[in-house]
Amino acid sequence: MEPEIIFFILLGAPVTGSLISLLPKQGVEIIASLSAAVVTVVTSLVLLVLGISGTFGYFYADSLTRIMAITVSSIFLTSTSYSVFYIRKIKEPFIRFRWYYCLVNLFAFTMLLAITVNDLGFVWLAVEATTITSALLVALERKKTSVEAAWRYTLIVSAGLVISLLSVIFVSTSQGTLEFSTLLHQPINNFMIMSMAVGFALVGYGTKAGIVPMHTWLPDAHSEAPSPVSALFSAVLLPTSLYAFMRTFVLLQGSQTFADLQNLVIGFGVLTALIAAIIMGYQRNYKRMLAYSSMENMGIILVGFALGGIGTLGAIVQIVSHAFAKSAAFYSSGNIAVAYDSTKMQDAQGVINKLKTTSYLFTLSCFSVTGAPPFGVFLGEFMILTQAIIAQNFILAAILAIVYMYAFIGLNRQTISMIFGQQSKEDETNASANSSLSISKDVRLTPTNKENFISVLIPFVNLTISLIIGIYMLPVFLDAVTGMK
Amino acid sequence: MTFVIPFYDEIVGFLGISTILTSLYMQGQSFVDPTIRAISIQSLIITVLIVILFLHTGDLNLLYLAIITGVMRGVVFPLFMRYQVRRFKHKLRETGSSQKTPSLVLSGIIVIIIGYAMFRSVLASYFPDPQVAITFILLLLGFLLIITRKNSLTQMCGYIQEENAILYAGALIAPGIQILTEFAVVLDVFGVVVIGVILSAQRDVFKTLEPSDLEQLSG
Repeated sequence: MEPEIIFFILLGAPVTGSLISLLPKQGVEIIASLSAAVVTVVTSLVLLVLGISGTFGYFYADSLTRIMAITVSSIFLTSTSYSVFYIRKIKEPFIRFRWYYCLVNLFAFTMLLAITVNDLGFVWLAVEATTITSALLVALERKKTSVEAAWRYTLIVSAGLVISLLSVIFVSTSQGTLEFSTLLHQPINNFMIMSMAVGFALVGYGTKAGIVPMHTWLPDAHSEAPSPVSALFSAVLLPTSLYAFMRTFVLLQGSQTFADLQNLVIGFGVLTALIAAIIMGYQRNYKRMLAYSSMENMGIILVGFALGGIGTLGAIVQIVSHAFAKSAAFYSSGNIAVAYDSTKMQDAQGVINKLKTTSYLFTLSCFSVTGAPPFGVFLGEFMILTQAIIAQNFILAAILAIVYMYAFIGLNRQTISMIFGQQSKEDETNASANSSLSISKDVRLTPTNKENFISVLIPFVNLTISLIIGIYMLPVFLDAVTGMK
Repeated sequence: MTFVIPFYDEIVGFLGISTILTSLYMQGQSFVDPTIRAISIQSLIITVLIVILFLHTGDLNLLYLAIITGVMRGVVFPLFMRYQVRRFKHKLRETGSSQKTPSLVLSGIIVIIIGYAMFRSVLASYFPDPQVAITFILLLLGFLLIITRKNSLTQMCGYIQEENAILYAGALIAPGIQILTEFAVVLDVFGVVVIGVILSAQRDVFKTLEPSDLEQLSG
């Protein structure tokens, strides 16, 4: 079988799934979407196992492409599966459920296209298309806040991505082509124009990846979208945008300009991680807190990529393990939102008394995304820290250590107090008064106190994968360090 | 096939300056309708500029780009936005905008000066065509319109202006990417549908198109 066919199957499955989802027959959208997701996972596994690399017509694959493809496909599958439980709890959905599934499929398609296409122009086009396919998903619960978040998301991200189109134009001006495989082996014609291209790509794709100061849409959209969509955003959309940036940045690798820009990129990454880690601990909405955690992780991943060496390996490990752990956290938060009809921590105190399994899953997921050993994120963060020390950038290493510690304490302190704490008398009185007066908490879900098997199985599976990555990758990390010595 | 256009530089320069003037006009409007008309005119001017570029270079892709830009950004999008305004009759004027428009025009002029100075000091040695400066200034003015306005439709005009600027920059300095920009314009069609749905939701949920009332999210 021609490798090109594998790419067509990978991209064709979600497109077919989206079209079938629109058929006016009840339940067909779920079957179509789940089937499409399974096909993408299997196809990505084939790519990974066969180690397919190189240029195949319109497509390009290297090890990062293969890893990103399996990550996106897996989260697409788990989010679609979790959607079956979650979205039927939405009382007045903004769009019909078949449209929801259609858009989720198209969203997955655009991300997979951005990862696999061998043309920087079409990478930009695919990233731009992710906004169009996902904007309506943010507003699904038809709340005031979700409509506001959808508008902010559309406007800020689209305006930011215009800047990355400028980056594409500059690459084309300097190099005369946009084919990534050609660009990789071509000498740089104009370093000044290419460095401006990298700068514009950082601002443009950085807006989509939640890099400070272009991040303002991110906490809103992540916290207001339905949980399966938040999982897709946090776990795979943000890394896909970073991936798009890296495709431009890597073109300068080995040059003095790369070394000059390295500090700029590290600066943006550190600033993002630091600000997110500080703000995270003061959140009163648990989904918003998870959103800031995603920003913190993206900042660290950006630093990892910019450092190179083991840092790059760490960034890749962190992308994959963060994707699984954070999606598990968002699915668990979905269970809590359904049970309490609220995403405010104040309303959801003592979750352990109501949702035992979800409580443990949510707590462990939060530990995992903040770098608790032996989960994969810990290993990723440790690799990046190690690279900073190897590069003798001790100030950076110290800042990273502070960020890790601050994020760990900030997020987990809030989580533990929410899960294991008790609602104060005052809060309880307010909650019951609100409920008796029918004061809207602006959440439109049908509450349930029972834990659905699927709703706890999916976060459990994802969390286990994050754990396995941590354990499996440890020898690889040790080998890499030993090899360096 | 190329054509020799008499007064090419003068015509192109005049049209380029006209796009900046339309942008300044938009900054000075407190009503939504004139802003929509201005963005339509600006898009049509950009279309004419790309047609002139086509005649000058003979690159047929530029002609396709001009047609698609003129139809979509010059006609279809403005009609869509005016339809939105008609559906929301009592909010044609931005709240409190009449007091701030003079300072916004002044801000626009300052942005033009800063933009040109930045172009001269950073980009001019790599892109000697002064038209590139115009696209750079237009881009900055588009951002200014987005960040200083409350009305969703005015913000959308700012976004279209940004895209106009990038599209013209692409046509000027990177002749190979017309197909990409054509795709980008086509993608905007889907974007407009999505934005239309979100605007409808704003009307239903907030009873306004001014996100000044959308201040539920913070922190």
